[in-house]
Amino acid sequence: MPPQRFDQARPFLTLGIVVILWVVLPVGFKAFTRASFFELTAPAQVAASRLRDLQDYWSLRAHTDDQLIEAGRDLARVNASYAVSVQQNGELRDQVNRLKELLRMPAAENYRFEHARVVRRDFSGWWQRLIIRKGSNYGIPVGAPVVYTGGAVGRITEVHAYTSVVELISNPSVRLAAAIEGDTRPISFQGGENPTFGPAKATIEFVPLDVFASPMLPKKLVTSGLGAFPPGITLGTITKVEPSTDGLFKTGEVQLDPTLAELTEVTVLVPLNPE
Amino acid sequence: MRRCLVIFLTLILLWLLVAQANHLLAPWHVYLFVGGMFITYPALAMPSRAGLAATLLAGLAMDAATPVPFGLHATLLATAHLLIFNIRDRVPRDDTITRVVVALLANLGVFLAFSFLEVTRNRAPGTAWPRLVFDLLCSQAGIALIGPWFFALQAKSDAWVRPGRALAQDYD
Repeated sequence: MPPQRFDQARPFLTLGIVVILWVVLPVGFKAFTRASFFELTAPAQVAASRLRDLQDYWSLRAHTDDQLIEAGRDLARVNASYAVSVQQNGELRDQVNRLKELLRMPAAENYRFEHARVVRRDFSGWWQRLIIRKGSNYGIPVGAPVVYTGGAVGRITEVHAYTSVVELISNPSVRLAAAIEGDTRPISFQGGENPTFGPAKATIEFVPLDVFASPMLPKKLVTSGLGAFPPGITLGTITKVEPSTDGLFKTGEVQLDPTLAELTEVTVLVPLNPE
Repeated sequence: MRRCLVIFLTLILLWLLVAQANHLLAPWHVYLFVGGMFITYPALAMPSRAGLAATLLAGLAMDAATPVPFGLHATLLATAHLLIFNIRDRVPRDDTITRVVVALLANLGVFLAFSFLEVTRNRAPGTAWPRLVFDLLCSQAGIALIGPWFFALQAKSDAWVRPGRALAQDYD
């Protein structure tokens, strides 16, 4: 009887030994194996995203001429308003540069914009990530901030040969330095709940006691400029603040943009002068 | 070796299809997890070593694509594989319904084990559970739906690389 029992337990014993051997294996070997497995599946994922693009192309081809004329007219209007904004932006930038020279302030970090298509969205209850179609072939560095038209998306956590992984701001493990729009005091931002059929939420801590926000009177939360993100990029809307247990600060809830879960294209801010 | 590779390729195909489904379901914040299907056929219908090797390779492929310690999926799947392998002579393992039921139970176990390990990263772990429970229900429904097709695909692929070999050889 005992030999039979051991016979049944032998596979588990073998697995235990394999796991122990795996734990003591060099980190470099594990990193190489991980990268190899990722690159093994990457071409299939990229091919699937290109097929989706082709599908979109053919669905757009099915539009009538009238619809295209209407879209062109709307786009021309948007372009006209953007042209005015670009002009104003240029004037303001010159003004800021002149003032910085007068005050001898250090130059702000500049970025190169690298636009990339989304290969895959990976939004589980455990993590929220995106895989984008540009990697080390476009000089994307780890830690680079990623933005879209609605604000911050997240930051690059892994760079592969032709793809990169973006950790979203809704990811529970993401922490950022934030600020309320028009206020310079830093606040701690952390990704949080991702409920089904609803927009993702985040939490804020160390909110000054004089800050008030409610669903009726929400406040806009932006990046503070401390860390990888440049200042003023939208993170979300503060809908609730309440005193924290220590009474020194407040904690709150931030509603993130629902379109964050529907992104098809993002922009990576690649620092021009990385430290 | 050939059997292991072919079954591994079918598992990669399943993983890619589920990844595409998750991409499309992302706007609704729904996520499918089908880890249980990765172990069912290798544990029920393949010899010990080839089946375990296919499971481990698929687990490592899952690990490479997720932000978890490399080897976590592989270890969980291999443990579940060995548990199923130990009881496989007591169940009608060639029956499709049995395979689907085993996949559902294995998926439940692996999902819960994985959730308990991963949910600690959340600042308020309690708030993550309603979402995880809903994801689990959707995943189970998905397995019940595609399970028969996938196990048939695995059986056909397996038979394709071992023409003329008696099925009895697998029962050693």
